[in-house]
Order: sequence, then C-alpha cells, then structure tokens
Amino acid sequence: MKSTKFTPYTKLSKTETDRKWWEIGDFFRRNSLWLLMYCTGCCAIELPPAMTSAYDMERLGMGPMATPRQADILLVSGYLSLKTLRRLVYTYEQMSEPKYVVALGSCPINGGIYHDSFAVINQLNQYIPVDVYVAGCMPNTEAVMNGFVDLIGLIKSKKANGWKEYHKNNDWFKENQITALGKVVIDDEFHQ
Amino acid sequence: MKEMKLFLGPQHPGMHGNASVHMFVDGDIIKRSYLLPGMLHRGFEKQMERKLWVQNISLIPRVCVPEPDINEMAFAQAVESLLDLKIPERAEWIRMIILEFARISAHLMAYGGLGGPTGNYTLMYHAHGDRNMILDIFEQITGARVYHQYIVIGGVRQNLPIGIEKDMHKFLDSLEKRLPEYRDLGVDNPSIIMRVKDNIMLPEAVVWELGVTGIGMRSAVNKPYDIRKVMPYARYDQVEFEVPVSNYSDARSRVDIKIKEIQQSINIIRQCLKKMPDGPVRVKPARGQSMRWTVPKGHVYSAIESSRGEFGYYMVSNGGTYPYRVGVRGASYPQGLLGIEKYLPGTRIDDAALWVDTMGICSPEIDR
Amino acid sequence: MMNSISNVEFLNELVNQICKVQKYENISQYQVAYEVDKRDVHRLLSTLKSHGWKQLSYLSAVDWIEENQFEVVYIVFNWDKPVQIQIRCRIDRENPSMDSILPIFPGAKYYEREAHEFFGIAFPGNPDYKKQLILEMWDDIPPLRKDFDPSAYSDRKFTKRDYPTDYAVTSKDNQRLVKREERKRRATALRGGNKQ
Repeated sequence: MKSTKFTPYTKLSKTETDRKWWEIGDFFRRNSLWLLMYCTGCCAIELPPAMTSAYDMERLGMGPMATPRQADILLVSGYLSLKTLRRLVYTYEQMSEPKYVVALGSCPINGGIYHDSFAVINQLNQYIPVDVYVAGCMPNTEAVMNGFVDLIGLIKSKKANGWKEYHKNNDWFKENQITALGKVVIDDEFHQ
Repeated sequence: MKEMKLFLGPQHPGMHGNASVHMFVDGDIIKRSYLLPGMLHRGFEKQMERKLWVQNISLIPRVCVPEPDINEMAFAQAVESLLDLKIPERAEWIRMIILEFARISAHLMAYGGLGGPTGNYTLMYHAHGDRNMILDIFEQITGARVYHQYIVIGGVRQNLPIGIEKDMHKFLDSLEKRLPEYRDLGVDNPSIIMRVKDNIMLPEAVVWELGVTGIGMRSAVNKPYDIRKVMPYARYDQVEFEVPVSNYSDARSRVDIKIKEIQQSINIIRQCLKKMPDGPVRVKPARGQSMRWTVPKGHVYSAIESSRGEFGYYMVSNGGTYPYRVGVRGASYPQGLLGIEKYLPGTRIDDAALWVDTMGICSPEIDR
Repeated sequence: MMNSISNVEFLNELVNQICKVQKYENISQYQVAYEVDKRDVHRLLSTLKSHGWKQLSYLSAVDWIEENQFEVVYIVFNWDKPVQIQIRCRIDRENPSMDSILPIFPGAKYYEREAHEFFGIAFPGNPDYKKQLILEMWDDIPPLRKDFDPSAYSDRKFTKRDYPTDYAVTSKDNQRLVKREERKRRATALRGGNKQ
C-alpha cells in the first residue's frame, strides 16, 4: 500500500515527455482532420455526397481544405495515370507532417480494371506510403466514411506511420518512381 | 510589365475535374492560355480492342464519370445498327427513362459546380442533396449507384422493380417544387449576377468555327438544334417536349437554360411512365454463347444527345469477336481545347474557373 | 424538315458531280459513307461545307495492318438537312501524311494533333501537330498501332502486386471423393446416429 506521504517527484526523460506531448497532439489531430481537395480519378464522384448534407463528413470533424501545406489527408480517389502521379508526388512532398494517405477504389490496390493499360500504374504502395485502402469499384459513400473512421482508429493506436516510412525508405521510393515515370519533375516551357 | 506564369492547376477547389489551365497573365488579364489534358488518360481505345463484345459493357461507363449511361447507350446503339437488331418496345422506353434521369443528375452537378468559383457553396449543398436521391433510385433499379451497366446490347438487363413508379413520382414532384428555389439562389441572385451577366460570351461565329454543340450552340444560334429532335432515337418522337433556346449567350442565359431543361426532362419521364407498354425487355443479339458473339463487318458512327452536347462512338468491326477500332467523340472536346486557347485570353483570372464550368467542360471525356 | 430520303439523293448527286467515289454505303436513313481518294478530300469537304455541312464531328484514323495502310476518317453533320457523312480515305503506312484541313474547319487542329500522337500520321499545314497533347514524355511507338502491346509495356514499367498462390490443387489423384465421405461421416456423428 502506498503511503499518504509525499511521493518523490521522478523526472521524466526527454523521449517520454515528447511522447506525451505527441499523444496529446494526436488526440486533437484525429478529431479534426482536414482533407485536401484533389479529385484524381473517377472515385471522386462519391466525394461530394460525403462532404455535403447527404452523408455529412463534418460530424467526424473533417472538412475540405484548399492548399497542401495546411491539409492532413491526401485522398487518392481512384486510378492514377502517369501525369497525375508526377503531380501527386510533388503535392505529397509539399504537405507538412504528420500526413496520412487514404486510397479509394480497387485501382490503387492492384490496378483494378485498368491493370493491363499502358497509362495507369498498378500498385500505389511502391511510390507513396498508404495508410488506409477502401475497396470497391466504386465504393459506396458509407464505405468511404467507414474508411475515415478506420483512419481515426489507426491514429489512436499509433499505427498510421506512413510518413515516417517515407523518410526511412526514401531511396527505395525514389527508385521506384524513376522506373515508372522517368523523371518526376517536369520541365517544359512552363515549368522553368 | 513582364508576363507571369500561373497555373490553375489540377488541385484547385473551384476546378471542375482533373485538368489544368496554364496561363500567362499580365496584371489581372490573361494573355495566353492553353489547357493541359491527359491527367485522366487510361488508354481506353486500346483496351476496348482487347476485350470481347460482351466484356466491353463493364469497361464503357467509366469514360464519362458524371453521366455514365450515355456511353452504354451510344455503344449499344452502334452495335445494334451493325447487327440490324430490333429491340423490344418496353426496352426503348426504359432506356429513355434512365437517360433522362442521368441528364437531370448531370445538370444538377454542373449547377452545383457553379458554387465553387463564385463562393456560393449553398448551391453545391442543395444540388448534391437532390442528386443523391437520384443515385438512390438508380440503386434500386440497377444495383449500383454510379456505374450501372444496365443498358446492354439487345435491350436492358432486367425489368424495373415493382413499385418503383411511386418513388419516381415522389421524387419528381419534390424536385419540381424546388426548381423556383434553385432559380432564386443561382440565376436571380444579385451577387452571382454580377459575375455571370454579360460575361463569358459565346457569339454565333465562334460556335460554327469551333464546332460546339449542346447548350452553347442552342443559346447562341436560337434554333432547336438537338439530336433528340433532329435525328430521333429510342422513341423520342413519341413524347412531347420543348427545347429551350435563346439568342444572347452569356453565362447567365446558359445556366438559365439548364434549369429549363431539367423541367423538360421531368415532363418526359412522366409521359414515359404513362405510355410504357408491358412485355419483354431483352433480346439475344447473336447466335451462341455470349463469349463467341460476332458482329458483321462495317463502320458506323452513332451519336446521342448528352447533357453537354453531341456524344458519339465510332465503331469499326471486321467480323470478329473483338471490336477492331472504337473511337469516342467527347462532347466537350472542341470548347475545351480550342476554345480555351483562342477565347479565354482577354478575361480576368477569376473568370477562368467560371469559364470551365459554364461551358460544360468535363475532363474525363476529353482524355478518355 | 425535309424528308430524309430526298436528302440522301441530293447528297448523292452532289458528291458524284465533284469526284469519283470508290465505295458508297447507305447505313441508315440518317447516315451515309463515301470512300474516296486522298487527293479529293479537300475539294469534297469545302463543297460540302458550303452546302450546309458545317460541323466537323470527328476526325480519326484506323490501322489496317494487314493491308499496310491507314484509313483517315472525317465525319461531318448538317443540322438543317440531318445526314451524317463519313468520308474515308486510305494512306500509306510507311510514311503516313495527309494534308491538314485546318483552312476549312479550324476545329480540326486538336484532332489532328491527337491522331499524330496516337498513330504517327503527319499533317503538314498544321503548325504544331508534333507537340504532345495527352501523353507526356512518351518513349515508345505510337500506342494505338496494332503492333504495340500494352500489357507488355505495363508489366515492364509498373510492378504488380503478387498474391500468394497456395490455393492451387497440385496433387493428381482425386481427393474430392475422400473428403466428401469424411464430411458425411462427421456430420452423422455430430447428429448422433443415422439420418432420420
């Protein structure tokens, strides 16, 4: 039995205080995630019903955001053609950390219905780290909301660490990007 | 002053779809601009050549995302004209109902897209709330909300479920009562009138130069040039409806015509539900198993009227089990590519996103 | 609105006056097709445009690899006398080039650019038909030709996800009957005796 006298104050190490601050930050972060508005492919049609009053997204605390530097989630809605992938990698690297990626549809999983096409990539995991997949072609809006709730659960149990993997295995991701794309930064007369 | 490069990039809250407009601006006025398509390119025309006639039905709706039924209808019409097939009467009436519902949902989505560039997000909330009810009706009929795969070669896949007429009438009555509200919020709203009245004009000479069809053509030329009236397909000559026209084409009159067309589509659906006979809904296109259907040789181009203009499929068959070449004519191809290059310069930067929405540019059908 | 049978007759007279038609097809009451020589295309299109066929609906090409030819297709439409006309002409596959119709229909600029990108047909007369429109930094032959294999390209550049294949039945003898007997025996044992 503990005595009722004053227990001595144990000083926590730096890593432990950091971890506690990070947990407090995660609590606020997971209850107000902001979504970057980028319709990359066909599953983006199921996004306006989720954002507006049909299946309201704001009750989970999520809302749309205009710029990548202030957004938390990059929503990859559907397939990715080569041109979009270049701009998507550029956008992903501009977002500030911690950042999460949610992939909708069956096209980022294994290519979907376009698996033998010359312009669509087959597996998104090779180029950017992905946290949550929502399967379907196309997934129902309730399935998309379910995916968001799963992401909130993953943040709570500290498993949504895609952005840390991007830093750790940066060379592997970059090598895959160059094999598929050739060059990630475009330079034509416009982008100088 | 030196020109500055700016791009209304693919990631933008007011942009309609995934395409970017590259602009060279001087102050606030655009000097040179061009559209960069290709971000939604999937290689459809090559893939369609590698799949059987019956397998293409699942690939086709994904060409145009907001309104997928027009793809199935144009494909089925083209193949039926090569086969010289006559489909049962009830199937044609059901096809008309599905196409008109798709037209209403595409018009609602374009109308809600006006809310992004002008900052009036209430329009988007109202339009998508109503559009969701149409998607629920589609789910009851066909089984899926967005990509239906319901209009097949030889008719329609299955009959309408019992009791769906009640749901349709309830929805049509409620939408008809809300149309004056939409008009009040979008077209007669003083703060939006400032942005769209006398702005983004489309004179008649430009229409014939570019080859624009659809609402842009009807609002500038003042004649009912609509494929449903001029070359009727699927029993459109047995229902009565009007085609709204105007002779002064600024952004406001085009949006106004959209609301009038929604009212005409509601009338068409009501007449269809009354005049529809009973009977079979599907007939077998060719002999044998569906994996071995062959279509006789020929070239055909079938065009139908979508909510944005003339949408066509050009089909070439050489007698085999695979199509030899399929070409898709997107309805907004002329005004999207050549229109932005020649006629967007001279307007201001904040009109660029509004141009893309009121001209009815849908980027998946430009890129395929 | 004129009767469509007389539209087609009017059209036949007009076209046969201008040039020699190699093949004529009457597809339906609203669509006809003419196959002509490639040097007559300009004259035919400008005459048709002056008679009301003002809208260019589609311009593209078809690859006939066995006959070693490309076939360029133009589709024009008239809203007052509604007949869609397909005009087709054959060009050589080794050095394909076709005069641009930009002076007649200015809207053909992007159609020709796309035909060059996907088939490799040159259109002299069009100032920038060589710029890439839909593909970016493409490093292979034009994709819509018949000797291009898209799944080989996709396997080469984009890695696929591998799934474990431990579901395949690899033994030769028929195990289904043995398993079925086993299941029956287990079911009767659970039910406590023979079937009622």
